[in-house]
Amino acid sequence: MLEFLSRLEILLNPTVLGQVIVNGISLSAIYILVALGFTLLFGIMRVVNFAHGEFAMLGAFAFYHLTKDLNWPWMIALPAGVIGVAAASLVLEWLVFRWFYQRMFESMIGLLGLNMMLIYGGVLLWDTHERNIPAASQEVLMVGDIIIPIDRLIVVVIALAALSAFYLFIRHTRAGLAMRAAAQDVETAETQGVDTRYIYKVAFFVAILLAALAGSLWGQIYAVSPHLGERPLMMAFIVVILGGMGSIPGAALGGALLGFTESIVGTAFGAAASAFLSFGVVIVLLVFRPWGILGTPEN
Amino acid sequence: MTQATRITWGVLAAVVLVVWPWLTDDRFLHHVGVLIMLTAIGASSLHLIIRTGHVSLCHAAFMAFGAYGSVLTVMSLGLPFPIGLLVGTGAAALLAATIGPIVLRLTGKYFVLITFLFGEVVRMAIVENVALTGGSNGIFNVPPPHPIFLDTRAYYYLALAFAVFAVGLCARILGSEFGRAMNAIRDGERLAECSGVPVIRFKVIVFIIACALAGMQGSLMAHYNKVLSPENFSGIISLNLVVMNVIGGMSSLWGALIGAVFMVMLPELLRGYVNIQHIIFGAILFATMAFMPGGIIEAARRVKALLSAKPDASAPPLARAGAAE
Repeated sequence: MLEFLSRLEILLNPTVLGQVIVNGISLSAIYILVALGFTLLFGIMRVVNFAHGEFAMLGAFAFYHLTKDLNWPWMIALPAGVIGVAAASLVLEWLVFRWFYQRMFESMIGLLGLNMMLIYGGVLLWDTHERNIPAASQEVLMVGDIIIPIDRLIVVVIALAALSAFYLFIRHTRAGLAMRAAAQDVETAETQGVDTRYIYKVAFFVAILLAALAGSLWGQIYAVSPHLGERPLMMAFIVVILGGMGSIPGAALGGALLGFTESIVGTAFGAAASAFLSFGVVIVLLVFRPWGILGTPEN
Repeated sequence: MTQATRITWGVLAAVVLVVWPWLTDDRFLHHVGVLIMLTAIGASSLHLIIRTGHVSLCHAAFMAFGAYGSVLTVMSLGLPFPIGLLVGTGAAALLAATIGPIVLRLTGKYFVLITFLFGEVVRMAIVENVALTGGSNGIFNVPPPHPIFLDTRAYYYLALAFAVFAVGLCARILGSEFGRAMNAIRDGERLAECSGVPVIRFKVIVFIIACALAGMQGSLMAHYNKVLSPENFSGIISLNLVVMNVIGGMSSLWGALIGAVFMVMLPELLRGYVNIQHIIFGAILFATMAFMPGGIIEAARRVKALLSAKPDASAPPLARAGAAE
């Protein structure tokens, strides 16, 4: 018990506390980016995208090659890489994903297959050693006793900007309205003149865009390797189950909960403890409320 | 098929399975034989769970319980192998009895997700618990069940015996009244419940039996490989068992067996191309789910129907995967 308290006490140190908060926000933002795309694909196409993390991996590699090999400044490389990956992924949408729309069970197993193809394709292409994306900035910002690295701040700002853009898109554009309609009831949306084939493509593009962006930011904080996608995928699962599958506000809430839990518990008790805690919470939640905190039960 | 031809085929198969190791001295072929037999235990036991309409992505976690339970009993407590095997199998069954009643209430996607996470929790627990399990380094110098079984050919017969027991048990369950109740549960849980099938209890029983068999496979595998590490029980192992069921065909136990043979042989043919092998598995998985959810069994049925078709013969109904909601 004493040890438990003394570990918690670490968090009261202002330097550590600042670190915990900055970590919490940036992790939350990245998890939300991954989970939003995942939940969008599920909500609209009823596809459980087990390959979602691999698009984050592709985004990170695109960012890595553009900054490291072509020496593009990160402000150009980031959007170029992310949009490039999302556009190229439309080929995969045509080859693979369209077969699984509205076929949830088949999509889970089939896309696990795609997941394996992308991971091991990545291993063939890039082998397994980890690469580092050069930091956007080495400087730090001092607020009182709290030290904030600028590059972490950039990650947070970009992620928040992307999330706001997504919110505006889904709330205030006709395509966003059509997406929300399709998510509620595909057949009714179609009878009302929504071109679902087109909406599926837009939703897919947006989902991959968010995943690739999350991957690039993740690669900037940690390291880039073909196995980069595994952790974001697990986190997307947890976030989406926490918040409720198919629920967009749920993904935001779940991502924030998970990001801060990981940052706080991880700092005080280590990464393993925080992983066990989040898995434990999700398993308990699945048992009592499988539709998540903000989701709605089916039938 | 008449009773007589069925018996003839059965006897023929039994003779082939018993005699073939003596037709060759190639240790490598014997090794592949052992792997096929052991894998068939896992694949057919997972098939039982799939037949109740649940796709479990944590079967390897139960193998891990069986393997570590057995190896620790034999190596730390110094007890003989049969007791280790029983402890391992029992540990897997106990774990299944603990989590089964909780997770089996979930359907479809939630079950898949929770088992995926649970498998990861078990693997992490093994890696973290260094004192007991040796962490990521694993445990070395695991003794064979008996010095006789250092010979691969001898181990093949041990594996064959257990595989026959496991597959026979699965076939017996599926062919019984109980198996019919399982099909009813898969096709419509509420309807089965209304017809007097105690759905949860049946599903839990099936889950415990299947996971105990997985634990048995884990134990036999550990004492065969002589090393044991968390990587032997990662999510990809569970996934491979699902792949076997999917490509073979999820509607029949034969599918799981065909899948097991296929999935053990293919890597041996693609030796040295481990990455390409995974890519090919992935492609097969995708293509099967997209275009032929019934698997090889379904494909064979269709070809057979085409060959023997009268012009007006209607196509056989599409064998559907179970867990779709």
